[in-house]
Amino acid sequence: MILVVAHSRAGRRDLRNVCRSHEDCVVRQFGRAALFSATEFGAFQALRLREKHGLDIQLGRVEPFEPVDAPTRLREAARRYEDRDEPSTPYRQFASGRDLPDPDEMCGADL
Amino acid sequence: MRVRVGATTYESDVIDLRGRGVSGAAVAASVRGERCLPVVDCASPTAVYEYAGRVHPSMGLRTRTALAAAARSRGEETPHDTEIAAHREELTAIDPSPPELVEATEAIPDAAVADLRETVAAHRGRITARRAVGADADAARADLRDAATTLSERETRRAAARETRELRREAARAYRDRLERRREVADALANARRAARATLVDRLADEFAAALAVVPGQTPDDPFDASPVTAALAVLRLAETPAPIALEVDRFPSPVASSDALDAPVVRC
Repeated sequence: MILVVAHSRAGRRDLRNVCRSHEDCVVRQFGRAALFSATEFGAFQALRLREKHGLDIQLGRVEPFEPVDAPTRLREAARRYEDRDEPSTPYRQFASGRDLPDPDEMCGADL
Repeated sequence: MRVRVGATTYESDVIDLRGRGVSGAAVAASVRGERCLPVVDCASPTAVYEYAGRVHPSMGLRTRTALAAAARSRGEETPHDTEIAAHREELTAIDPSPPELVEATEAIPDAAVADLRETVAAHRGRITARRAVGADADAARADLRDAATTLSERETRRAAARETRELRREAARAYRDRLERRREVADALANARRAARATLVDRLADEFAAALAVVPGQTPDDPFDASPVTAALAVLRLAETPAPIALEVDRFPSPVASSDALDAPVVRC
C-alpha cells in the first residue's frame, strides 16, 4: 500500500478531496494521512498530490506486518509484558532480571 | 504636527480639514506612513493607531485588542513578554522553505546484481575447467573481465542510488520536522500573546471604564459592550498618542475639545 501524509493545510484539503472522489483507491483514511491501494491508480493519485504540494506531501510504501514477521523473542517479550501482574511496571524494569530483550538493545537493532 | 493639503500647510495640534475633501482614511494612512499624501509631518504612531487611529461612524473595534495596544503604547509590560520575544525569535530563525532535493536515481534491483554475480562465478568456473583440460581460456578470461567490470559498475550505481534515496529522505524529514516545530512555536506564540493581552486588559479595565464615563457616548453596564466609536475614544484617552488621530465623528463640541478629551493631536476630517 502507499502511505500519503499531508504536512500542510492545503495538502490536507486536497488529500481529503482525493479520498472523497476516488474511494476505490483509498484503503483507509486517517485525518491527515491515508493509505492508497498499491495500484497504478493509487500511485497516480499519490503522485498528483506530491506534484502539487511538493515535500508537504510525504509518500511511503507500507507492507503488512504480521506477528510472525518479528523474531520469537520479541513476541515472547510482548506477551509476557502484557501479562504482567503490576500494570504500572515500566518495561525496562520488567525486563531487567528476566530473560527479556533490553529496550536500548531493541532500539539499536534493525528488524 | 504639520499637514499639507494642496498649497496650504497647517501647523497645529488640532487641525480642522472639514470642507477640504480629505478623507480620514487618507490622513490615518499618512500618519502610519502607508501613504505620502496628504503630507503629514508628525511623531510616530504607537500600536494603538492600528485599531483606533481613525475614528469614524461605521468603524468596528476589537476592544480588548485595542485596549491591550493602548497599554503597550504606555510601555506596559507583562510576564509573558520574554516568552513572546523568544517565540518570535525562534519563528524567524526557522526556514520554512522546502529544501532542494538531490536528483532521485532509479533504484537498481538486488536481483540484477545477484544475476551478474552468478555470471561472474560461471565465467570463473569455465576458466578453471578449461585450464584443467589444458584448453585455451583466453575467451573465457575476456568474458570474465567484461562481466566483472559490469558487476562492479552496477554495484557502485546501486550504492549511489541507495545513498541518494537516504539523502532525499533525510532532507524531507528535516523539512517536515521544521514545519512541525514552526507550527508548535506559532501556537505557543499565539497563546502567549493571548495571555499577555488578557493581563493588559485586566490591568486597564478599571481605567477603561472610567474613560468610557468621560468620553461622549452611551456607557453600557459592561464596558466591553460599548459601541466601537465610544470604545475607541476611551481607548485613545488611555493610550499614549503622540501622533494625530483622524477624527470623523461629531461627538465633541469642537476639534479642540476632542483633542483635550483624548489628550492627543487631532485632525478633524
